[in-house]
Amino acid sequence: MKRSSGFLAWFMDPKRRGPMLIAPAIIVLLLVNIIPLMWSFGLSFFKYRANTLKLPNFSWFYSYEKVLTKDNIWESLQTTAIIVAGSVGMQMILGFLLALLFASQFPLRKILLMFVLAPMMLSNVAVAIYFKLFYEPEFGLLSQFVQSFITGEMYVLLSTPAGALIGVIFADAWQWTPFVMLLVLAGLVSVPKHLYEAAEIDRMSWWRKFTTITFPYVRSLLLLAVLFRTIETVKIFDLVFILTNGGPGTATETIGVLVYRTAFQFFRTSNSAAMGYILLFAVIVLTSLYLYVIKQRESEEI
Amino acid sequence: MLNLTKKILLAFLASIVFSLGVSKTVNSKTVEIIMAAPDWPPTRFMQEYFNSSFPQEGDTEIKLTLDFIPWDNFYTNVAASLTSGEQKYSMIVSDSQWLGAFIEGGYFQKLNKYIDADPELQAIFDDMHQGYKEGYTTYPYKSENYYGFPQFPDNYVNFYRTDIFCNPEENAAFRAKYGKKLPCTYADWEIVVWDDIFDINEFLTRKKGEMMAGKPLEDDMFGVTYQAGKAYDFSSMQINGFFWQYGGDIWREDQQPDAQAIGVVNSDINVAALTKYLDLLATMHPSHKTGGMGIFEMQALYLEGKIASMINWVGLGAPVVDPNLSKVNDITGYARQPGTMQDDGTISRWANLGGQPFVLTTWMTQEEIDASFKIIKWWLSYDVQIEAVKAGGQSCMKSIIYSDGYNALAPWNAAYVASMDWQKDVWHIPEFFELLTQQQEEFDKAITGQQDAKTTLDNIAEFQQELLEEVDRIQ
Amino acid sequence: MKKKAIGQSGWLWTALASVVAFIYFFPVLFIILTAFRSRSDTLATPPKWIFSPTFENFYHIFFRSMANSTEYVATGFHVYFFNSIYISGMSVLLALLIGTLAAYGFSRHPLRGNDTYLFIILTTRMLPPIIVIVPIFLIFRITGLAGTYTGIILMYTAFNLPFSIWMMKSFFDELNTEIEDASRMDGASERSVFFGVCIPQVKAGLAATSVFALILTWNEFLFSLLLTNKLTRTMPPAMARTIGGEINVDYGLLAAMICLFIIPIFLITYLLQNQLLRGVTFGTIKK
Repeated sequence: MKRSSGFLAWFMDPKRRGPMLIAPAIIVLLLVNIIPLMWSFGLSFFKYRANTLKLPNFSWFYSYEKVLTKDNIWESLQTTAIIVAGSVGMQMILGFLLALLFASQFPLRKILLMFVLAPMMLSNVAVAIYFKLFYEPEFGLLSQFVQSFITGEMYVLLSTPAGALIGVIFADAWQWTPFVMLLVLAGLVSVPKHLYEAAEIDRMSWWRKFTTITFPYVRSLLLLAVLFRTIETVKIFDLVFILTNGGPGTATETIGVLVYRTAFQFFRTSNSAAMGYILLFAVIVLTSLYLYVIKQRESEEI
Repeated sequence: MLNLTKKILLAFLASIVFSLGVSKTVNSKTVEIIMAAPDWPPTRFMQEYFNSSFPQEGDTEIKLTLDFIPWDNFYTNVAASLTSGEQKYSMIVSDSQWLGAFIEGGYFQKLNKYIDADPELQAIFDDMHQGYKEGYTTYPYKSENYYGFPQFPDNYVNFYRTDIFCNPEENAAFRAKYGKKLPCTYADWEIVVWDDIFDINEFLTRKKGEMMAGKPLEDDMFGVTYQAGKAYDFSSMQINGFFWQYGGDIWREDQQPDAQAIGVVNSDINVAALTKYLDLLATMHPSHKTGGMGIFEMQALYLEGKIASMINWVGLGAPVVDPNLSKVNDITGYARQPGTMQDDGTISRWANLGGQPFVLTTWMTQEEIDASFKIIKWWLSYDVQIEAVKAGGQSCMKSIIYSDGYNALAPWNAAYVASMDWQKDVWHIPEFFELLTQQQEEFDKAITGQQDAKTTLDNIAEFQQELLEEVDRIQ
Repeated sequence: MKKKAIGQSGWLWTALASVVAFIYFFPVLFIILTAFRSRSDTLATPPKWIFSPTFENFYHIFFRSMANSTEYVATGFHVYFFNSIYISGMSVLLALLIGTLAAYGFSRHPLRGNDTYLFIILTTRMLPPIIVIVPIFLIFRITGLAGTYTGIILMYTAFNLPFSIWMMKSFFDELNTEIEDASRMDGASERSVFFGVCIPQVKAGLAATSVFALILTWNEFLFSLLLTNKLTRTMPPAMARTIGGEINVDYGLLAAMICLFIIPIFLITYLLQNQLLRGVTFGTIKK
């Protein structure tokens, strides 16, 4: 191999191969993601509204103080927590059951699996609009079902805080259960068959087989599913905004909706930046946990 | 392999160059005005009619390009575009309530100097109906600072089913039961007050299978319906009307800094008005219990023949008469919305102004400003306004609305024009959205039965007082 | 039941799975049927399951009636369609190029703090986009990129990069480095090790990565709504016109658009079923 000299040699030095390879990616991310993030981080320490001509005013932690002392952020965090717990919980249970169903080989399995995976491929907006239609008291399937078979009255699911939460949770869980199913399925098919055969010889009960053989193989994947879905569900916005608009009252106003309102309707730009950073902090914690579990899992396998 | 990579890179670079080239094909002799507009018939008509009939004169060609944005995302898109300072639009269709927010941000251009210098524009301003002029162009509200021109003026009318309200048997039964007439004609509705709606709704609320107007019902039926939605302003608009009709008020932005929120917003009169609104709501279609009786949801119920009447914006009238969208296209009558009887025997009909002005932005060149005024003059000229009204639009130019034959241009015009003197607008201040959102949330709690009128208004008044004091609008 | 969970099952199992899949798929089925229903059939009470299908909704995707008459004009949807293909194609290609290089770097020439870099990269993908939208606007204003193809392509490239890097790294990590070392011994340059040895082995990975990135870009709504203009707009914001224009949601039209969207995705998902798990977890979980 011919050796070049000068700049090119410096550039091609094997020591710099790693940095050079990742440099383009880092530059793009810096430009489009990191710098905006830093900018809005800076903004969160100023007093600033995007719809006035007043210049930003440095104010230390004023925005954070303002945001954290108001009730609405705690309320919305609580609402978000309920939705996350409900939806992720439901996804785990349903996803697990679906995975058990699809873990074995049977005719037409691949095609039937496609039908179950379909909701995940829909856009959030589409899911929100059609679930709104399903829940609608006059035209909605749910109301018509209740009306014709149970009470004879139109059924208005979204009219109470609890009903609205259930409505949101159900729609979100429906859309994302296939995701959990995929993960659990991966765990189930990785269980070596000979373990089951051995268990058969030992005449183990199915529950014991489940806890001693099946569960250990899917445990870490379940944890990953919980974390991944939690990260995604914390950000929930489209679905809630279209389905309930945060109502009734503020019963379903999640942190995502609150950040949107603060930034684009109230123009409390620095407050929204501060809220964004609180949200970012949560995402960072969850993402680190997620990667930690992945590492654990990989080292276990080796 | 390497060659392939190079080829791909080259292709990519070429396509960037290509795309840059594509975006710069505007002829130097053309002035293009890009206007942000919601995607619906009144704005589509403006584009289509401009393309087919705008009189080009001189050597510069004027091009009007409406950037149609779905209504649902319109506000977000405009707000994001303006606050980012990308300066994409020269003209913008704006809800009247947004004026303050975007004027204070330095985005909407004050028009006084152009109006003062141009008699034609003065004539247009003089010709605008006073209440609409105040709502669509002034900031601060009712001041002499002008910012906009009407794109689509709007107010409430009552859409009702003539096959039900004018059915002789139903009329006889109603008279027998309540001792008064079931309103059928425009004149009948003129004397209807909100208290009458209790009787009408009780009478017209029927179950699937029962008879109505000589036929068995295919589904449950309900009487008169109005807005009670959580989204945007879909309950405040109707409730503000109730406050004003009862003699109450909202916080008066034109009387800063003396006007108060506490004591005004939660006055006994307002509590009584809101209570009436909620009591009436209980007699209507149960959709409002979801906080989802917005203007479109209500319209869908009416178009499908599930409610006997709705009080809604004239702007949503065109689909009602469209046989492809409406089951009631040929059996709908139009009247003013009911009012409130006052001590002197007259009926108060205050309502909240709807509709949108269009405005100019602050970064336009002189050339663009000249072109915009040509477009504005064209749009507000007699012939074009008449064509717009025929196509489902509206006008608030006195020379047009009071001209002979105007009421015949669209079936709802009589009701529209008669309501015009009874319009007031909600706040225009930059804090508008915060006031509105909190109010909508509180109203929604009342509508869905979580709290009573008194608590609701106390919460709203307290919030408004605090916020408005913080921004020095109340002393 | 449980004892058969792993292993071969017969048609009985198929029947059970069919029932479950049907119930689960039902809302999607409803949407697909709606695409072929007229508006009054969609809003009929009780719901109509048998109806005469219409293709009107599909026609209305591309042509809408004029404001004042029954004439029809083009909606420009074909332009949005082209934009969607062009913009997502370009950005995926670019992200794949840059991402594959970076993934190779992370996998074969780890830096000090390699994991930290990877963590930050993943975090940028997990972020709620609403946080960065205001400053991104500012940057677009300064650079004049708002509304241009270059701007939105750059945006989507950054959007796809973390995904591409993690995905491709997971594929590179799986390769057996002995083959690479062997060809180095034979005197192959680093360049030919990369192009001649590694890339051919991860072809499937490249395909899976690009397809998943394509799906994500294809569905993206917020950035496209806010950063494009009339000429560069993609399909998702165009879909929003079905909501609250002159009538409440135009369910049929929306359903027709969803059908157009979902068919290619459906096919791709079917073909790439084995890579699906890795795709939906950004390459963090391999099996």
